[in-house]
Amino acid sequence: MIPPDPRRLPSADDPLDEADFGLLGGIRELYQATDPMPADLPERIRFSLALRDLEIEMARLAEEDQLTVAARGMEQSRTITFDSDSLTIMIRIEANRDETARVDGWLAPPQSRDIEMKTTAGSLTVASDGQGRFAFARVPHGTAQLIVAPAHHGPAGAGRSVVTPALIL
Amino acid sequence: MTDHRSVTVRASQSDRSTRIAGWLGAAREGSEDALGQIVADLSPLLWQVARSAGLSSGDAEDVLQTVWMRLVAHLDDIHDSAALVGWLVTTAKREAWRVRATGRRLLPADRDLLAELPDEGPGSEEQVILDDQRRRLWTAIGQLSARCQELLRIVAFAPRPDYAAVAAALGMPVGSIGPTRGRCLAKLRALLASDPAGNSL
Repeated sequence: MIPPDPRRLPSADDPLDEADFGLLGGIRELYQATDPMPADLPERIRFSLALRDLEIEMARLAEEDQLTVAARGMEQSRTITFDSDSLTIMIRIEANRDETARVDGWLAPPQSRDIEMKTTAGSLTVASDGQGRFAFARVPHGTAQLIVAPAHHGPAGAGRSVVTPALIL
Repeated sequence: MTDHRSVTVRASQSDRSTRIAGWLGAAREGSEDALGQIVADLSPLLWQVARSAGLSSGDAEDVLQTVWMRLVAHLDDIHDSAALVGWLVTTAKREAWRVRATGRRLLPADRDLLAELPDEGPGSEEQVILDDQRRRLWTAIGQLSARCQELLRIVAFAPRPDYAAVAAALGMPVGSIGPTRGRCLAKLRALLASDPAGNSL
């Protein structure tokens, strides 16, 4: 075997060789160590995809705020806003004392719809009132997803389910 | 010994594309499990696409959820691993730009790679210890153009037979990394060769 000539720089036009594959392997290890994907992300994505057969409208995360309500001890409260083409969904999540979460929500424009909270432990369903308000008093911690059912009647475009990304309560 | 190992590595790399093509066929037939396998295999690649666009961890997660939802609607149009990987990278990149254009939670644009280490997310509190070889590679990568850094970071997570499809999806000329090495890897090797201790990589 001819030893590589150290004076010759590797050319961009040469075929990829084992040293290139080794370098790319090293680059992958570096980014895996310094910027790893959250290990549970593929599972949460699969959870969302399980809903794909429904006629759905995806809501996107528009805003998220985390605040500690000092007056109520160290309980954490999060507000999250989701936007879809036809609907804005705002929720406030607060920890209950029994390892569950309370979720209060509002739909805009205000309307009465059936709302399902899908969790790994099962589904909870409530209905929003005429002002678009709804509440889940006790939701188990873990992965959860909101599904706003199609309106029975109402403005055009209200006939589809609106689904939020999976979130961790 | 070395030859045997490299042959094994090469075989497992083309197996990855073959496996993806198999899952793709099954997913089109409606297999949730096959779709889940594709998600598990290619999400780390899409994570690097979103993060190299400068998104926060939370935004990167949203981008991945959106991309995989869209794929489901396009499954019938995509027939092999290269087309799938190219479509996913293109869509993730566009979605990352869309999110970035809103200006939310954008990380400061800092050219220093070490400063781009995530400041949140699981495991990041642990000090990442890079040995000397890794640190030399890290330093050399930091001397590449931003375009080359992005290309190599993303290609490193792609199935080997699909490198060219990834480069094309990132808007790099055909052959940037494919059958040929391309200027980014050539430049990286030149940088490492000029570092007297870097030849051992």
